[in-house]
Amino acid sequence: MTVITPALKWGLIGLAAIVLSLLQAGLFRQDLFNLNGVPLLWRFIVASVHPDLSTELLQTTFSATVTTLAYAVCGTFFSVILGMIGGVLASEVWWLSFGQPSRCWLLIRAAIAVPRAIHELIWGLFFVNIWGLDPLTAIVAIAIPFGAITAKVFSEILDETPRTPLLILLNSGVSPLTAFFYSLLPQAFLNLLSYVFYRFECSIRSAAVLGIIGAGGLGYEIFLSLQSLRYEQLWTFFYALFILNGLVDLSSAWLRRRLGCSSRIDLNLQQNKSKTPQKAAQNYFILIPIALFLLTLCFWYINPDFSKFWAPRTQQLFGQFVRSALPPDFSGVPQLIPQAIETVSMSVLAIAFSAFGGLLLAFPAANNFFLPGGLLNQQGNGSLPQIMFLLSRAVLLICRAIPAPIWALVVLFVMFPGILPGAIALGLHNLGILGRLMAEVIENQDQRPLAALKAQGAPNSLIFLYGVLPLTMPRFLAYSLYRWEVCMRETVIVGLVGAGGLGRSLTEQLSSFDYQALIVTLGGFLMLTFLVDWVSANARRSLR
Amino acid sequence: MAFSVPVFELKQVSQQFGQFSALRNISLQIYPGERVALVGSSGAGKSTLLRLLNGSVRSTRGEVWAMGRNLSQLNSKRLRQIQQQIGTIYQQLNLVDNLRVIHNVNAGHLGRWSFFKALASLMVPLEVETAVKALSQVGIAEKLYERTDRLSGGQQQRVAIARVLVQNPLVILADEPIASLDPELSREIMDLLQNLAEQADRTLVVSLHDVDFARSHCDRMIGLRQGQILFDAAPHQVSPDLIADLYRLESH
Repeated sequence: MTVITPALKWGLIGLAAIVLSLLQAGLFRQDLFNLNGVPLLWRFIVASVHPDLSTELLQTTFSATVTTLAYAVCGTFFSVILGMIGGVLASEVWWLSFGQPSRCWLLIRAAIAVPRAIHELIWGLFFVNIWGLDPLTAIVAIAIPFGAITAKVFSEILDETPRTPLLILLNSGVSPLTAFFYSLLPQAFLNLLSYVFYRFECSIRSAAVLGIIGAGGLGYEIFLSLQSLRYEQLWTFFYALFILNGLVDLSSAWLRRRLGCSSRIDLNLQQNKSKTPQKAAQNYFILIPIALFLLTLCFWYINPDFSKFWAPRTQQLFGQFVRSALPPDFSGVPQLIPQAIETVSMSVLAIAFSAFGGLLLAFPAANNFFLPGGLLNQQGNGSLPQIMFLLSRAVLLICRAIPAPIWALVVLFVMFPGILPGAIALGLHNLGILGRLMAEVIENQDQRPLAALKAQGAPNSLIFLYGVLPLTMPRFLAYSLYRWEVCMRETVIVGLVGAGGLGRSLTEQLSSFDYQALIVTLGGFLMLTFLVDWVSANARRSLR
Repeated sequence: MAFSVPVFELKQVSQQFGQFSALRNISLQIYPGERVALVGSSGAGKSTLLRLLNGSVRSTRGEVWAMGRNLSQLNSKRLRQIQQQIGTIYQQLNLVDNLRVIHNVNAGHLGRWSFFKALASLMVPLEVETAVKALSQVGIAEKLYERTDRLSGGQQQRVAIARVLVQNPLVILADEPIASLDPELSREIMDLLQNLAEQADRTLVVSLHDVDFARSHCDRMIGLRQGQILFDAAPHQVSPDLIADLYRLESH
């Protein structure tokens, strides 16, 4: 009695989408591999063992690393501020507590979907046209889309927080604003904070990507060395990027654990019970001054020119942009449709690649699984699991630390341009992120059902099959679908290096100041993004 | 197996968890066909004792023997063979709750099934008849294809028992199987456990908070207090004073 469950239906749809995308990518139809590039790739790989460690380059590396960190810190700062304001305004509960059951929050939530759908690279290219290569460009390019994402997530967290305490305060005559601050915010605080840490990890990666358009920092240096074939220098910057990413991820995980917000963005299924914070007040006492100090240092280091916000020239250029973008030029619409199909195919292939790779690496990378004393190795023997653990963690870190456009350039050594190399580049980058998220799912998994299977004498392979896989798979799929939405937006950044799709048109139109066509392409891209979000949300719902 | 050979034998067993000593110098024997109730307050060591018996934890000191084997001297394959003869029902159910009921029941076969058979059964359930029989015995045959997390607590407890039935062990261990159930359901579950044990002459070891159920459904009571055995006797020999003593916190 096998029935077609919603989950099965979505599984079949997903499989069909992957096959169609592979066909669309030209598999079996054309030459994909450019074997002439193999010697170049070899040179690139060999350079990894002898990076350029001259004092001069190390100094450049250091200042580039600090610049990237500072962009991320300042960008996160503004996106959290925007996110707090937007998040409160876009939450149902805020309007409810003022006794107006209006639909304002729906309007605001719809409005912030637009800046969210546009990748920070597009924002960056746009602001470069207005402000030039000022640090302000990088910060604002991060702050706008990340602010909108943060606002959306904050509003969801606020709406999911239990309301009874708020209503009790309101009913006893406390003013809405006070009631809000005394009941809802303290309850939701840990979840909000946990999300801020996660956003900061994302900001670091974004800051590196923005370097590629010339904003400076490690991404910029890497791009320059890659273009000028100086692989020894390139690897020095790569190592700096790995260390920076590794340190940020580690300290963010450590802080989240210390403050008692172990659950990351909980995307779906039951909320993890956040553990009791250990001496939380004491922690904040130390952490807040450190955070403030770091923030000041970062602003001082990159010194963005805030006066540009209200400079007459900004207004003038912005006015020019609006005038030259109107009326929109619809003549390019027929080309948009094949490009849109290419874009979706690229995102599907990218997420399929990274979900599969992430799944393979997540188990050895989880700290409670193959390691001695872990679930499948209770006897505690063998150094092989330890080597696998370190190796898989390292691969995941390298994958996510290197920005997708850089991956694309590396892949293009040995592949002809097209959507497949673009998909592989996106897939490699997202594999690193997804694999880490999946490893965390495994680490937070309830062990009791697995212990029960073990106690009745089931061998490890069957504990995996009947316990681990069914328990973790829904979450893996939910994370993969969520990353698919992100991949869709990120197709733009591999488009920049010629991977095709709508992203390529967008970046070309931006840099040739063809704003009339740009508006139309952007509109098409937005619609496509919303479509993908809708499909993903539906598929995720069926997984619950 | 001769009747005189104990199913379980503990020889001066102690169990430490870090600084906390959960069990201290326990020696006891449990014989085939006995229905043993473990009683005592929370933290007295009942769950730890059960986990020692089914081989989930290894004793810090002393020896745990099950079916004539010293558990701490077995390699993992031999240990699994012993564990197949021991079915455990847990307080928190410990089912894989997003699988359908049939798969949770079939998990009782996992000690015997090959990998490919188990894999095939996840696609198209195998040995459905055995599962239906087990589920009818616990009275929820109609829930065969339901998702486990859609069932009530009492129904899930029945699924856990059906899994043990499919496993068909010589011994059933139950860790507070009725802790979260109402009195009516508790009685049904306890009757069920008693019947299952009597039918096939299985040994039953069950930890209970409720002393009355221990008296009515078991033929031996072991009282644990702070990791030590306070009494080990037939129910009619356990006086109300002994019970009061059992739940008294400080020992003088």
